[in-house]
Amino acid sequence: MHIPFCFHKCHYCDFYSLPDSPTGINGPAAGSDRQSAFVDRLLKEIRFQAQRYTLRPRTVFFGGGTPTLLEAELWKKILETMRQMGLLDDVAEFTVEANPETLHENLLTVLVQGGVNRISIGAQSFNVTHLKTLERWHEPASVTRAVTLARKAGIANINLDLIFAIPGQTPDDVRDDLSQALHLQPDHISCYGLTYEPNTALTQRQRAGQIQPVDEEIERRMYGLVRQILAQTGYEHYEISNWARPGRQCLHNLVYWENDSWLGFGPSAASHVQGRRWKNVPHLGAYISSVASAPVADEEELDVNRHVGEVLMLRLRLRAGAERSWLNALLRDDHARWDKVRDLERLGMLAWRDDHLQLTEEGLYVADAVISQLL
Amino acid sequence: MNIRNFCIIAHIDHGKSTLADRLLQRTGAISERDMREQVLDGMDLERERGITIKASAVSVHYELEGQKYLLNFIDTPGHVDFHYEVSRALTACEGAILVVDATQGVEAQTVANAYMAIDANLEIIPVVNKVDLPSARPEEVALEIEHVLGINANECIFCSAKTGQGIDELLAAICKRLPGPKGDESAKTQALIFDSEYDDYRGVIVYFRLFNGRLKVGDKVRTMGTGRTYSITEMGKFMPKMVLQKEPFEAGEVGYMVAAIKTLDDVHIGDTLTLDLYPADAALEGYREPQRMVFCDFYPVGDTQFDALRDAIERLHLNDASFTFAPQNSDALGFGFRCGFLGLLHMDIVQERLERESNVQLVQTAPTVTYEILLHSADGTDRVVQITNPADLPDVAAVREIREPIVKVEIITPNDCIGDLMKLCEARRGIYKSQRYLSETRQILDYELPLAEIIYDFYDKLKSFTRGYGTMDYALLGFRADRLVKLDILVNGDRVDALSVIVHRDKAEYRGRALLKRLKEKIDRHLFEIPLQAAIGGKVIARETISAMRKNVTAKCYGGDVSRKRKLLEKQKEGKKRMKRVGTVDIPQEAFMAVLEPGE
Repeated sequence: MHIPFCFHKCHYCDFYSLPDSPTGINGPAAGSDRQSAFVDRLLKEIRFQAQRYTLRPRTVFFGGGTPTLLEAELWKKILETMRQMGLLDDVAEFTVEANPETLHENLLTVLVQGGVNRISIGAQSFNVTHLKTLERWHEPASVTRAVTLARKAGIANINLDLIFAIPGQTPDDVRDDLSQALHLQPDHISCYGLTYEPNTALTQRQRAGQIQPVDEEIERRMYGLVRQILAQTGYEHYEISNWARPGRQCLHNLVYWENDSWLGFGPSAASHVQGRRWKNVPHLGAYISSVASAPVADEEELDVNRHVGEVLMLRLRLRAGAERSWLNALLRDDHARWDKVRDLERLGMLAWRDDHLQLTEEGLYVADAVISQLL
Repeated sequence: MNIRNFCIIAHIDHGKSTLADRLLQRTGAISERDMREQVLDGMDLERERGITIKASAVSVHYELEGQKYLLNFIDTPGHVDFHYEVSRALTACEGAILVVDATQGVEAQTVANAYMAIDANLEIIPVVNKVDLPSARPEEVALEIEHVLGINANECIFCSAKTGQGIDELLAAICKRLPGPKGDESAKTQALIFDSEYDDYRGVIVYFRLFNGRLKVGDKVRTMGTGRTYSITEMGKFMPKMVLQKEPFEAGEVGYMVAAIKTLDDVHIGDTLTLDLYPADAALEGYREPQRMVFCDFYPVGDTQFDALRDAIERLHLNDASFTFAPQNSDALGFGFRCGFLGLLHMDIVQERLERESNVQLVQTAPTVTYEILLHSADGTDRVVQITNPADLPDVAAVREIREPIVKVEIITPNDCIGDLMKLCEARRGIYKSQRYLSETRQILDYELPLAEIIYDFYDKLKSFTRGYGTMDYALLGFRADRLVKLDILVNGDRVDALSVIVHRDKAEYRGRALLKRLKEKIDRHLFEIPLQAAIGGKVIARETISAMRKNVTAKCYGGDVSRKRKLLEKQKEGKKRMKRVGTVDIPQEAFMAVLEPGE
């Protein structure tokens, strides 16, 4: 579910969102008409898709935007509707993304009562200077507060998002961020190298020479440091940018990497059903005013060759990699790709371990160049 | 009927094509409404580059003082590469209009072209063009013409092809000053082939100038050089559209013919046509093979296959027989073609037309010249072989001498740039010959230079040193031995034959280092480290290293990112398709051209 509201656009973010005033715990908020119009449309979209597909999700993920900007009453409405429709019956993992500043006790109670069992908090950094570089408007202390509140409300599965290679950041700063994050004992950590996405303020500032990206050698060291520290503290590295305590891998994101099917709701939300991908139009007005199915922007169904490339692209992101029998089935007579695999093995970028083909440690740093050869 | 056969010769950009347009318009051959700029330049590419590639012959009627004239005029190329095309056009004429820009004055190719016309015994009408411009200095330019070419300044016609000023005077001069053709209609037929063109529907269209005898549709003609026979199915004139002519052509006339000729290779420019039944005793004089000065390889890349490239080259060759091609097999680049060109511009045009007209993707190697190799055989005898590819240089042990082509270069330059140009020529192993004043402010500088030293950037350098005012012309003098060696380039341990270059021994280290530096810039980092080496024989004289790729990873790839990320990675992969893979290294097209880029 894509909730397209933020009270401020962070400079590195390229997700679809609109500015919206923060909601109070109890009070009526500005923009509530728009929020409720959005929620009504979202529920209609869910009902519409429920007629087309058998909806028995095993995981639910609310992202954005800032889902925690939605008023508690609207959350109640969504969660109650989903429960009544039986959508939550098989759900093992129900995640809501939270901005540390907007996670409040009242909202948490509503979420937990509605079935949410996992919270993902956008910490990014604990350093005020670096948060400012990212144009993240939260106090480092609010992350601690949010984690404490969530635990108190009964959330047992917590993720923290961190970003490294922020302009001006040093490896010591990264070490410090990790240590503060670990102090909160999260169950899961997503740690991303800062990406300069096109059409973001960050990229504009970089092009204008206002900020200097971190040198790639230093970024390599930072990534190495993250892997080393998290391994030492009992976190399993299971995807290029994701670490989890045993049993705490994000089931929802595994759906993406294992190329399973999912449905997305809300403006700009993406869906994938058995090889067919599409994306809702990233426009709230168009979304709200639409009837029946949401307007779709991109739709594609790949030919076999592209499909195989895409499946590999996703699967090799997982540290476990691709199991031999699975790969044998996928690449049955694909001699060209097998040749590539052997080339990349020789170069030390791919290796077999436990009967799985995986990116090597060196391969991790240049995963795009490795994977692009297999497309 | 009074016939005047003449051509227009000029330095590039002096307004030759505009003048031709204006003449066509004034004689009524085309209406104001049909007037497009530079009607004679048919191809888009010519128009874009502002140059004329093929000579076109156009006939127009004109009446002066009660007399009727048929004016046949031939538009000629002005660039240094197309000497031979100019020479063919000259042979078909009795007169030449020498166009000189009233601001620029006499330039290198003005001189070269004028001398060619004088050598061909043509009557010359000097025209000072663009006199309407505020910067024009027509009287001075007329004096330059007199000073350099020995043509009386009083004979100059001042005109502006743009405004039409002086055009009537020029037409009068063409009628009165130029001699008519002297031919014998009763003599045996002799027609000069001075150009040809390929038409998809009619086959080869032959442009001819009839010197003696008659020709008509239905005649069976013989090419005297190659001994082939053809039956003429169509004859006519370009006025400027194709107009059929039923009555026989008579001595002195210019026209075109169609005779079921399949390829341009079947008709040699400069060859003589005669009647098969009543052949002339001898062919007309003045024909020589066009000289290919510059050679390079084309290899298919990306989705293009060898067969597609061959088809494309063969198709283009139908339209331009002045380049040569032969299959080539490179260790590094696989199967491709070695091609010979009249000059660098010609090479660029062929490459561009191949890509544009046939939609092939190709890699072009750096241009080189022909070398003469003196070999000493085991039996004690010496023999000379020619190579057009450094990779073909025989085993060093057998090589007694490597000779390279030397050209006579004539540069016209403002006085204050002489010092810089002399330094440039010295740095390029030039031998100073002479220095003459053209006017108070400009000089003519003569040097002998190895052709290899001027084929890449010499002209650009000349232009920049002279703020665009300098011009040059060159002509082949012959071959001369020097201390030349073959410099090999090894990429990741593999010798890349297409990157080999023949250089002077004294410059080898310098060139090797500069070349590796440029290669390092052009070749992307790979997943592994790539050593680059320059070597003479087995001895490495320079090295560089391209370090392995250090970081290239997408941090986030979730549901909404999949399609976009896949497309980005596909693009990354596609980028390599345009490159040539040598061993395990992807080398981009620019790298093969890097060989001759300036190292300064």
